Amino acid sequence: MIEPNVIFRLSGLCRLYTVGSEEVRALDGVDLAICDREFIAVTGTSGSGKSTLMHILGFMDSPTAGRMEFEGKDVTGISGAGRADLRASRIGFVFQSFNLLPRLSVLDNVLLPLTYSRTRVANQRELGMAVLDRVGMGHRASHTPNQLSGGERQRVAIARALINKPRLILADEPTGNLDTKNRSRIMELFSSLLEEGITLALVTHDNEVASYAGRRIRMEDGKVLEDIQL
Amino acid sequence: MNPIGDLYTGGSNGLREIWANKVRSFLSMSGIILGVAALVSMVGIVQGMLGNMQASFEQGGGILKLEVHAAEAPEPQQHIAGISPGLTWRDIVAVQRAIPLAVYTTPIVDMNYERFIARGRREGALLYGVTPDFINIGTRELGYGRFVADMDIALKSPVMVIGTHLRDKLFPNLDSAVGQQLRLRGQVYTIVGQLAEIEQTSGSRERGNWQNRLNYIPATTAMSRYKGDDKVNEIHVMADRVEDLPDLVEQISNTLTRTHRGIKDFEVRTQEERMLELKKLEDSFIFSLGGIAGISLLVGGIGIMNVMLASVSERIREIGVRKAIGARSHDIFIQFLAEAVVISVLGGIFGLLASVGVLTLAREVIPAGDMISVVPVSAMFYGFIFSSTIGLISGIYPAMRAARLDPIDALRYE
Repeated sequence: MIEPNVIFRLSGLCRLYTVGSEEVRALDGVDLAICDREFIAVTGTSGSGKSTLMHILGFMDSPTAGRMEFEGKDVTGISGAGRADLRASRIGFVFQSFNLLPRLSVLDNVLLPLTYSRTRVANQRELGMAVLDRVGMGHRASHTPNQLSGGERQRVAIARALINKPRLILADEPTGNLDTKNRSRIMELFSSLLEEGITLALVTHDNEVASYAGRRIRMEDGKVLEDIQL
Repeated sequence: MNPIGDLYTGGSNGLREIWANKVRSFLSMSGIILGVAALVSMVGIVQGMLGNMQASFEQGGGILKLEVHAAEAPEPQQHIAGISPGLTWRDIVAVQRAIPLAVYTTPIVDMNYERFIARGRREGALLYGVTPDFINIGTRELGYGRFVADMDIALKSPVMVIGTHLRDKLFPNLDSAVGQQLRLRGQVYTIVGQLAEIEQTSGSRERGNWQNRLNYIPATTAMSRYKGDDKVNEIHVMADRVEDLPDLVEQISNTLTRTHRGIKDFEVRTQEERMLELKKLEDSFIFSLGGIAGISLLVGGIGIMNVMLASVSERIREIGVRKAIGARSHDIFIQFLAEAVVISVLGGIFGLLASVGVLTLAREVIPAGDMISVVPVSAMFYGFIFSSTIGLISGIYPAMRAARLDPIDALRYE
């Protein structure tokens, strides 16, 4: 019986890489359940497997062993196109270096995921503006990313992650390139998303950032070392 | 999945990328532009030239016409060749009487270049002696009056049928010179007919077709007044059906051998050989020009592939981002392929525009270039399709490379 509020369930999840003749176990038997509206901070040294975990949770990568359920369905061996569809409809990504497309306007950057969503969305521009207003960037809609500060860019990136009304937002060091003031603003923005029914998982080295989260997972050598509800 | 939507999105993304990299895109287009422009203008020019030849071939009577020319007698007959009278009026009569397959028969009595005088004006032009059948061989038509008639042949009348060139020079104020008189070697001729003007098929300039410079008098008049014998230069014969041609050639040959007392000092020429030559010429043009244009389009395609590969490596991170937010490999493939196609289609359009310019120039510069069409539709169609196909093919490999990128690696790429 699946608890109704579990969105992700990983059991015995492994991810092996072959580098040259050597095998690297990036994930080594991870068991994890992520529930609705959780705010999870994943910490760990580099090479601990936290990025690999995020990639697998974000359907960018597939496990080599173990089982993975998303919204009650087995998604362990899902095809590349199937993973792309889940990324387009259920997942939002926020990156450390923002990864906005420099040639597109702020609004077009935000609307970009709609290009790849398989469902037609009416009034795209109004929706885009609403999401930009939500992150406090509506007044910059026609600017290009190069005209924005780092904090502003990350807000736009968050708006882009929100446009498809995702179930889960994954953020990889989202404040890594920001100053202290912008860092807390972005973290407050993230915290406020929980009220909208979004689940958040972010990778960070920064304890202060991790302190915003309600659950902290520490990883080492591809294993979950610590999983604390705060 | 919505293929039309995919193509639309791909196309508009492609246009945006091209616009963002104007210089680079234009440079990569230039190969296609040159290739298409070369292909279309060369084909246009060659078609025009061949059209010219074809038109004069048709005007001269086409495939159904046979020409009898004087020739050297074969080696064993040379010592007695003198007993043959050569091509004479008697041959005409013999062909007309003995060969029903010869529907129309006319001699050509060549007077060459003559000087004509009327109302104090002088003009030189070509003059031939012919019979009434002449007007039925080929496509010349009368504009005014009548052609040489049987009665003129019988009476050796001093009548003349002129072309529009003589009218323009001697009677510049008249539409029709019929009824006017002119002098030729001191003798007065009445103009009984005027041939319709052969217009330049699509000319902007006044150049005048050489056929408008031809003028005709009765063959018997030419022979009796100027030649002093009954010799003719050529005999033109028209058949009714292509199937009759082999028989007709044989019958003419037999009849003339008899009238020439067994000496084969003539040859019967069919137009088939000329047509084959024309066809051969066309084929060789098409192969050589097609080869050149094909190679330049190929080079254009390689240019596009090169630029697309550069574009892919420049945008690896972008590809990673697009994949992370939900683009399938297929979407990325379409995006880059559409970009290559947009480049080649735009290049093709510019090439077509350039070819219109080249062809307009060619019409002005090339002699007898009036037959050249500025818009050779079929060449343009094939040029455009070919260049778009080249773009499509050259975009496949770069698009595949882009589509195959792993999103994680692509996002890490610096």
